[in-house]
Order: sequence, then structure tokens, then C-alpha cells
Amino acid sequence: MAKRNTFDEDEEYSEKFNFHDYARLGHYLRPYKKKLALALGSILIGNVALILGPYLTKVAIDNYIPNHNMAALGILSGVFLVTLMIAFACYRYRIWAITEIGQDLLRDMRTDIFTHLQTLPFSYFDSRPHGKILIRVVNYINTLSDLLSNGLINLISDLINLLVTLVFMFAINWRLTLYSMLLIPVLAVWTWVIQHYQHKAYQELSNKQSNLNAYIHESIAGIKVTQGFAQEANATETFDGVAEENRRTYMTAVRWQFALWPGVQNISTLTTALIYFIGIQQVGVVVSTGTLIAFLGYVNNFWNPVINIGNFYNSLITASAYLERIFETLDEKPEVTDQPGAFALPPIHGDVRFDDVSFRYDPDEPEILHHVDFHAAPGETIALVGPTGAGKSTIINLLSRFYNVSDGRVLIDGVDISRVTIQSLRAQMGVMLQDTFIFSGTIMENIRYGKLDATEEEIIQASKVARADDFIRDLKDGYNTIVQERGVSLSAGQRQLIAFARTLLANPKILILDEATAAIDTHTEQLLQAGLQELLRGRTSFIVAHRLSTIQRADKILVINHGEIVEAGNHNELMAKHGEYFQLYDAQLRMLKAL
Amino acid sequence: MNPYTWVWQYVRRNHAKMVIAVILILLNALAIVVAPLLGGMIVDQVIEQGHTDRLIPMLAIMIGVTLFRTIIRYIYCILFEQIGQNALFDIRHDLFAKLQSLDFNFFNTVRTGDIMARMTGDTDAIRNMIAWVSYNAIECVLWFLAAVIVMSVINVPLMIALVVLTPLIGILTYKMSSQALPIFFELRQSFARLNAMVEENISGNRVVKAFAREQYEIDKFEKLNLEYKARNMDSARISRRYLPPLDFIASLLSVIVLFMGGGLVIAGKMSLGDLVTFNGFLWMLNQPMRMSGWLINDMQRFSAATIKIRSMLAAKPAITGKPAAVPARVRGEVTFDHVSFAYPDDPDTPVLDDINFDVLPGQTMGILGETGSGKSTLMDLIARFYDPTKGQVLIDGKDAKDWPVRTLRDQITVVMQDLFLFSDSIQDNISYGNHTADAPFIKQMATVASADEFIEEMPEGYDTVVGERGVGLSGGQKQRISLTRALVKDPRILILDDTTSALDMETEAEIQGHLKSAAADKTVFIIASRISSLRAADQIIVLRHGRIVERGTHETLLAQNGYYAETYKKQLGATDGGDDHGQA
Repeated sequence: MAKRNTFDEDEEYSEKFNFHDYARLGHYLRPYKKKLALALGSILIGNVALILGPYLTKVAIDNYIPNHNMAALGILSGVFLVTLMIAFACYRYRIWAITEIGQDLLRDMRTDIFTHLQTLPFSYFDSRPHGKILIRVVNYINTLSDLLSNGLINLISDLINLLVTLVFMFAINWRLTLYSMLLIPVLAVWTWVIQHYQHKAYQELSNKQSNLNAYIHESIAGIKVTQGFAQEANATETFDGVAEENRRTYMTAVRWQFALWPGVQNISTLTTALIYFIGIQQVGVVVSTGTLIAFLGYVNNFWNPVINIGNFYNSLITASAYLERIFETLDEKPEVTDQPGAFALPPIHGDVRFDDVSFRYDPDEPEILHHVDFHAAPGETIALVGPTGAGKSTIINLLSRFYNVSDGRVLIDGVDISRVTIQSLRAQMGVMLQDTFIFSGTIMENIRYGKLDATEEEIIQASKVARADDFIRDLKDGYNTIVQERGVSLSAGQRQLIAFARTLLANPKILILDEATAAIDTHTEQLLQAGLQELLRGRTSFIVAHRLSTIQRADKILVINHGEIVEAGNHNELMAKHGEYFQLYDAQLRMLKAL
Repeated sequence: MNPYTWVWQYVRRNHAKMVIAVILILLNALAIVVAPLLGGMIVDQVIEQGHTDRLIPMLAIMIGVTLFRTIIRYIYCILFEQIGQNALFDIRHDLFAKLQSLDFNFFNTVRTGDIMARMTGDTDAIRNMIAWVSYNAIECVLWFLAAVIVMSVINVPLMIALVVLTPLIGILTYKMSSQALPIFFELRQSFARLNAMVEENISGNRVVKAFAREQYEIDKFEKLNLEYKARNMDSARISRRYLPPLDFIASLLSVIVLFMGGGLVIAGKMSLGDLVTFNGFLWMLNQPMRMSGWLINDMQRFSAATIKIRSMLAAKPAITGKPAAVPARVRGEVTFDHVSFAYPDDPDTPVLDDINFDVLPGQTMGILGETGSGKSTLMDLIARFYDPTKGQVLIDGKDAKDWPVRTLRDQITVVMQDLFLFSDSIQDNISYGNHTADAPFIKQMATVASADEFIEEMPEGYDTVVGERGVGLSGGQKQRISLTRALVKDPRILILDDTTSALDMETEAEIQGHLKSAAADKTVFIIASRISSLRAADQIIVLRHGRIVERGTHETLLAQNGYYAETYKKQLGATDGGDDHGQA
């Protein structure tokens, strides 16, 4: 097993700000090229209209007002009004278009990451707190929203403004223009220094946010334990620690982030002072007073977009800490995928063969199954017996192809399951696990999970066989009773019965019961046995259980220990052998006799 | 209480920072006015009048003022962020503490992902309000007032012509705010649904894979994903309706200044210079107008976010106890006196019906019953996770309601059927209820629970980190670690709810043997479906549909030939008739 991450442990991150992530983000914009072009067009028109306003004012103040030309002033004001209307229309369009592009992009990303998550192996989910996975799909992606809507708009209009202003400046006086750009390298250094620390600070913050999410998630899931052990105060203290880390890293991050703005402002003022200084010495020599004043106006115009572009760069840095995590998840390799040329497994009879199967999680980890070899004919019941950690669950995980075998083959109806599509394989298998998960929703919906198009009659029928019908009818709203995720209001036994009905409904050809009835009482289990017998008929089934009553009825019993099959045969054969099974059975029998 | 008064209780704890920040805002506002004046002075005095000797000092002042005001602004921005973070910390602390105090009724009705959304996304809207909206709003008001004053000095009629438009802004922002609130609330709800769905998908990933339901999950996700986008577009619709008109009105001021001001100059009622100055101050008036829409938007986003946070903070736990005056010690007598219970959401279905029994300190009571017969609920009543609807649960002869909850839970420990381990080391999981437990004691208790051996065999022994909910461990291993955890807490009353069901009988018998001495002085309740787990109990009750139908000891119950005896025979028969294949 890979190293497990816990809520108070930071995850690793890359050292440098990675522009490649933005190229990847760019790919997501592709489908919306046309919309984006239209939106940009509207921004452009809107901006030109807005730049025109001050110009019109300048013309009026310079020419028409001193000349007392009321008519021209009226016309000019009218034109001004028209430009405002154009800007108004563009603004309306752009709010809608840019939000939509941004939201579509985020939606696409969310879909991608969620879809990808469905392909990842158990080990991915088992090796880190679930809150840390959750935050990537939902919260992290949301942090990009501002960058994509406001950031994008402003960047484009600022670039345009900057360009227009530069053209005007060069046209007026190229020498002064060069002087006003003198301090740009200082700004560049300032930005570079800040971005380095800011990026690191945001990476740390994203880690702490992830930890916080993980701890909240775990605390809710384990609330009954916390309350049962009267550990509320301790849990709150731990939470405060995690929240404090959030506060601390957040403050560090904004301290760097906010440092950009004063730097730009001061450099801008220095530049203005420089232009005054140099310009005034040249007044009358190279430039006129009017030119100097006009030029200073443009210097101001020049710095505004620079400040904004700086801010945009700022948000790029911020977002990159989250983007990194999102793409990291997307790059996580699924362990089990359909091979090229995989075909759908045709409807099966249920002949299962393990052909010299060995397994290890990773090439550099020790082997946990060694040369497992057995055959199950269609309709047979196979019981897996052995101590905890012997490898029973691993055999079952390989059969459902939750993991790929390291050596050997698993064959169903003679077909190597590594060559078929996972969907077609698992759709014909029913796995009932120890840990029964109930989705929030009605009981009906929970059972229907086994067969999405099942009718109510089918669901009730399956529940009857699973002996769940009685208790379900006793609930307030019967089958329409709403239960929550961990089904706290249902007992463990009731949850198992629901899971049982769910599996029954799926009508699989191969059935796997992994300690699936441990929490069910003897009486119900006995009733269930009748249903179980019905269920087992015509299906190949694999049962992991401790109850001998279930085991001894199996057609074949595999005794597993240390990753190997140590004994195989039916109850009578194994009893005759006087081996491990005999001892196990004998021990239980003696204990029962002792009652 | 409106959302602003509510959040104010958190903000005002930082009053020193607040006062400093507001003073700095005022200083900054003053400094901002200085810069354009200096520019004008340079033009007038240095360029026009030729006082070149004044240039350097003036430039120095200009640079100095900028340095001063940028530093000031940096400081107050950080101050506001700090206030925001402090308030956020306190709100989160209160939310979490509340979460810890709420009982199962709450967790049975609210989805995990929904609670999480309140504690992360919703709280962020509050941070934004305190750390950003607040000072921008203050700045805007300052600009507006300053502009009105400066403009009245220059030309009153022109100022009035501009300010006349303010009510229009007021109407627009008022309409916007009333429409935005429900939309933002829906947006938050949609976010919570999306979060909850993904959360369940991640937690239930094994089931999803087992049923090959990936596509179904993706479809379900897509629906919520689209819905979330649609709610975002709803909010864009409000922005589209109100932001452009607000912007238009703000820009209209320039036209009015141009046309009317120009007219005034032409009519000789105003000087051209005054018009230019007037125009120079215009941004102080139209900037707040432009910002108003954005600020209102964020304020309503904030209001919407507070709704669910406050409803959670206001939720009342049904179980409240007397505060612990003196840490009393529980002897361990448990009495049920005509106890009945029904869940609050289904008051007509009694889960427990007229339960009576008395267990003396140090005794062991066994409970047998079918799935859903009320066994676990009975245990929940002892530890006061619920209160009975009728009758009394007495601990040491005193009503459980009269005990401080903490005292009870400190000395009553339930090993729950639904096993939960934290993603932490085994060592820390075991010492969860007793942080002061030392390693030898932990090892000793693990030995009692027959867990020591397999823990030691793990790659890192007691330091092995287990996944959330204990993934990576088998059911039997989780049960033994949970049992160890309960034993390390050393409670007076120990409740074992189906704690050994996933173990083989040998291990189970071994644990029972150990427990006999290790828990000799404790009152023990054992819920089990195996007779082997129950037979040694001092008294045994059989529950059926929430009623006690049989009671006695192993021997007397066998003699009664009822459910208990029947179960015993079935379990014995299961191995007795090993050769009999078709036996049910």
C-alpha cells in the first residue's frame, strides 16, 4: 500500500510556477473560440467608446467652450451620449458572454475531473482523506472562476489601453516615452521577487485549506465516535489548530499578494517625477508646455493598465497553486483501464478460472498472492476461508478486476478478463461488501442502484427475498423513507439487508459476498438462507464468511493462508484430510459444544 | 437580527484594528487629494511662473506622499484581511463546536457535503464581506462625500445637477439587492448539492465500482453541474440587468458636466479652470456609483451565505445536561424504568416499548434480538445519544437527564456497530478517548482485545496509519481496534454492540476469556447474535419489535424454549449437521 496521507499532513507540490498549466487551461477555452471572439469584440468596441469620452471632453474644453460654440457643444454631448449607449450595450453583452464562457469552462473541468475520478482505483481513495479529494473537484475549481471572468476581461481591455496609450506617447515625444519606460525593469524585478514568494505562499495555503476540508469531513463522518468518547473539546481544539494554520498561511499569502500594488504605484510616481524633471528642463527647448502636460496625462494612463496587468499576473500566480492540484488529479493514472481493442464480455455462464495468479500492488512491493490456481464451474458456490489478511479479499478484488493480476490470468467462460471492457465485466457481477454504503435518498432509490430501470414491483420482490421488506414497511414512509449517507437511522443489519436487496436486483451471473451478513442476526440470516439459496441457484458465487453454516454448504472450499491456497475441496473431503480446515472446524465445534 | 448585526459581533472583537484601519483610510483619502493638487502647483508655479527651484522639493513631496499613502493603504488592506481572518476563525470555531454538540437527529437529516459547504464556501463569502467589501464601501462613501463638498465649493448648481441622479442609483441598487438575495441563496444551495453529491461519490467509491455505476454517477453529476452553472448564470442575469445601467448613469455625469458645465462657462457663470477642476474630481463621484452594483452584489452574496450558517448555529441539541459541578464517578448501575422511545421524525412508530430492567455494577447483560428490534437504540439511550420519550433511564439510581452529559460519556463507552477509525496512526486511534494512556497500557488492552498480534505484524506496528473509516483493515481488525480503543478509555460501563461479529469464533472466545478478568469490575452490555457471546452474561434479554419478550440467564432461557432456545439450537445445529447439505 502506498503511503497514506492524513488530515494534518501536507501534500507535496512542485517547486516552480508552471506556465504549462496555463497552456492546458487554454485547451479548455478551445470549444468556446467563437463565443470568446465575439465577447472580445464587444470588449474592444466598448473600450473604444469609453476612450472616446475623455477625448470629446478635451476637444470641447480646448475648442468649443472657449469659442462659446453652444451648438457644437450640444452635438459633442450628443455624440458622447451615443458612445455611452454603445458602451452600455457592449457591457450588457460582455457580462453575459464572459460569465457563460467561464462557467462552461469550469463545468467542463469539473466533468473531466469527476469522470476521471471514477476510473481511479480504491488505493487512490484509500490513501488520502476524502475531504482532500472533494476540495479539488469543487472548491479549487471555483477559485478559477474569478480569473476566467473578470481577470480575462480586464487583461484584454488593459492590453488594448496600454497599446493605444503607447502609440500616443510615441507620437508626442519618443524621447520622453523612453524615459517613462526606464523603470520598467525595476518593476519586473519587483514582480518577479513577489511572485516567487506569493506562489509558495499560495501553495501552502492550498495545502492548509485541503487539510481543513479533510478534518471537517472526517469529523462529521466520525461524530458518533467523538461524542461517544466525549472528545468534543479535543476535536474542537484540533480543529482550531487546523483553522489557525489556515489563518496564518492566508495572511502570509495576502501580505505578498498585496505588496505588488504599492510597488507599482511608487514606480509610477517616480516615473511621473522623472518626466517632470526632465520635461521641464526641456520646455522651450524640445517640448512645449502643452505637450508636457498632455504627455503627463498619458503617463498616468500608461500606469493604470500596467497596475491591472500586474493584478492579473497576481491572480494567475494565485490560481496556479490550485490549478496544479487539479491537473495533478487529472494526471493520476487509473490502475485498471480497458486495454486497446477491449471487447464487451458477452453474456456469461459463470465459469471462473484462476490460472496461476500472482499479485502485488507495486513492482517494488512484496507479493501478496502466490500462484493461486482454481476453477469454479457455472453455478458452483465457492467459499473462501482463512485468517484475516490471508488474501481472501484480494482474490475477490482480482476477480472483479479492481486490480490487474501481476502474473497469470483470470478467465471467465474461458475469456481472459484483462481483454474485456471493465463495464461489461462488472455489470455481470454482483459484489456485496463488508462496508455497506447507503446513498442519501429514499430506500427505493438505494435498492434501485442495482438495476436502474427496475420497476417498483421488482424492487419490492428483491427486498422480500432479502428479508428487508418487513422492516422497510415498518418505517415511516416505507420504501420512500429518506435515509442519509451513512444511514445512521438504520442499524448495521438493516443496511446489510438493503445492500443485499440491491445486489439481488442486479441479477448478476457471478456473485461475491464478502463478509456480507456478519451483522445480521441468526433468525434473519436463517430466513435469508432460503432467499440466498434461491439467489445462489444458477450463479457462480464466492463467499467470504466465518459462519460455518454458510461455508459447509459450499461446493468447494478454498482455505487461504499467507496468499496461497493451502487446501481445496468440499466440506467432507477437507474434514477427511484432517488439515487446517479440520482444525478450524473442530475448534468452532468444540466451542459450540461447550455452550 | 440582520446579517450585518450578526457578523458585527465577530468583527467588533477587533475594535482596535478597526479604529486604526478607519483612521488610515481617512489619511489615505486626504493624501489622494494632495497628489492632483501638487501636479497643478507644479504646472502653475514651476512651468508657468518659472520657479524652477521649487521643482525638486515639490517632486520630493509628491514621491513622499505616494510612498506614505501606498504604505498606509497596504497596512489597512492587511488590517482588514486580518479582521476578516479573525472573524472567519471565530465563526468556524463556533460552527465546529456547534457541530460537535449537535445530536444524531441533525446528522440524520443534513448531508455531510452540505455541512462542509457551509464551513468552507459559505464562510468565504463572509470573509470577502469583511476583508474587501467593507473598506471599499467606506472608501466609496468617503469619495462621494468629499466630491460633494469639493464640488459645492466650485459650483453648486452643477453639483446639484449631478447629485440629482443619486436617487436613481438608490432605486436601482435597492431593486438589485432584493432580487439578488434569493438568487444567491439558490446558488449556495446548488453548490451544497453538488458538494454533497461528490462527497457521497467519493465515500461510496467501492459501491460505485462494484455495480459498475460510473456512468450513472457521471450523469447524476452532470445534472447538478449544469444546474450549478445555470444558477451562476441567474446571478449573471441580475448583473446584466443592473450593472450596465449603473455604469451608464455614472458615465452620464461626464456628459452632464460637459454639456451643462460647458453651457455655464459659455454663459459666463463659471470659469473654464473651474470646469477643468470639476471634471478632475468627477471620478470621486462616479466611481462610487459604478462600484455600488458590485458592492451590493457581494453584500447579498454575503447575506445569502449567512442564512445556512446561522441556522446551523441556531440549531439546538435535544440532549442537554446539567453542567458538571463535581466530576462524579459512576458506579455502574443501569435501570430502565418503563422506557419507551420513538424517533422524532416518526413519533408514531415506537422503537422501544415499555422496557424495564436493572443491571447492577459489575454485572454483564446480554441482549439478543432480530435486526431492527431496537437493540442499538437501547444502547444509545444508556449513553444518552437520545432521551426516552416515556419513562426514565437511571444511572446509579439517578435520572440520566440529571447527569452532566460529559460525565456520562466519560464513563460509558459504546463500541459501535458502525466502526469508525480516523485517518491517523493505530496508536492515536486507540488512545482517542484517553490521550494520557501510555504505550504499555495500550499494548495491554490491545492484548485483551486480541489485537496486539496483528498490529505488531503490520509494517509500522502501532504507528501504521490507517485510512479514513479504517480502510485497508478487515472488518475483524477494525472491530478489535475499536474494542481496544474502548478499553483504553477504561469506562465504568462498557457497551459492546455486535463487536465481534466479523471475527471467527476462536478469536471471539479468546477475547471473551480476556474480558472476563479485564472488565470484571465494569458493567458490560453485550449485543450479539451469537449465543456463544451471550451465554456467560448474568442476565440476558431478548428484544422483539422493541419489547422484551424473554429474560433470564442462559440456562433459564434454554428451559423456556422460546426465541433464545431456538436460536441456540439453530446455531448448534448448523455445525452439528455438517453432512446435511440442504439443511436450512
